Amino acid sequence: MKPEDQRLTSEQVGSIVKMLSLTTDREFNCAECLQHVSEFAECQLAKKPVGEVIASVEQHLALCPECREEYEALMKILKAGK
Amino acid sequence: MTQNEINWPAALRATDSGEQAAAVRALRDVLHNGLRIALNSRSDVSEAHLEDFAQESLLRVLDRLDQFQGRSKFTTWAQAIALNVAFTELRRKRWQDVSLDALMADGERLTEPAMIADDVLGADEDRTRLVATLRHAIENDLTPKQRAAILGELREMPFDQIVEMLGTSRSAGYKMLHDARRALKQRLHEAGITGADIQNAFNL
Repeated sequence: MKPEDQRLTSEQVGSIVKMLSLTTDREFNCAECLQHVSEFAECQLAKKPVGEVIASVEQHLALCPECREEYEALMKILKAGK
Repeated sequence: MTQNEINWPAALRATDSGEQAAAVRALRDVLHNGLRIALNSRSDVSEAHLEDFAQESLLRVLDRLDQFQGRSKFTTWAQAIALNVAFTELRRKRWQDVSLDALMADGERLTEPAMIADDVLGADEDRTRLVATLRHAIENDLTPKQRAAILGELREMPFDQIVEMLGTSRSAGYKMLHDARRALKQRLHEAGITGADIQNAFNL
């Protein structure tokens, strides 16, 4: 990788800033997100309000592209089964 | 009996071996069908992959049966685990041709002081101050590993690959990233940059 290729782009700096704006002192990690994401997905599908614990899933999904990818795939399965 | 009417945990733990085997087969079919729906648009997933993912997922779900707390349908909980198994493997395969040496070399470069392209700054004074503060914090307030982790994530390196590169566990790696984000946020806070400033500067 050439040195100039390592320079952070405007989009990447925007990503850092967005991550910081979403950062809180207490957050779910990926394992905690996985433990609760099925409940979150069912609430989203049913358009039901989410509780405090489940809201932590939403916050983690905003920060973690890998868990978000898995959540979106789960929603695809649930929507296909409706 | 439909999927929703089955008491999955009880059936999967049934002492009657015939009943248990039937439940295991039914769960495997559920996971296989779900994975097919979720991954049908991917050109890098074959029928053999789906079979492997379904089998691996089934074992993972059976292994974690005691962790199911009934807050969602059992099948939704199991599908979430199956997707985690499948996507983790697909991410690993996408990066398997990258040698550990190359990753380590990249990691070394990532620990160099971060560089931010000049055009990121733009003409806006608040944005310029924010980026300058952020640049200083990345260079001075993060450990080399924190810098590598956060920049690796920005470059869309799979998280498993990042933690492998750094020689740490997933939970320790996540904590490292969280601590890094908190340190950067704290530095912006100390510089008097508020959440509203951040949102305005980057139209979030």
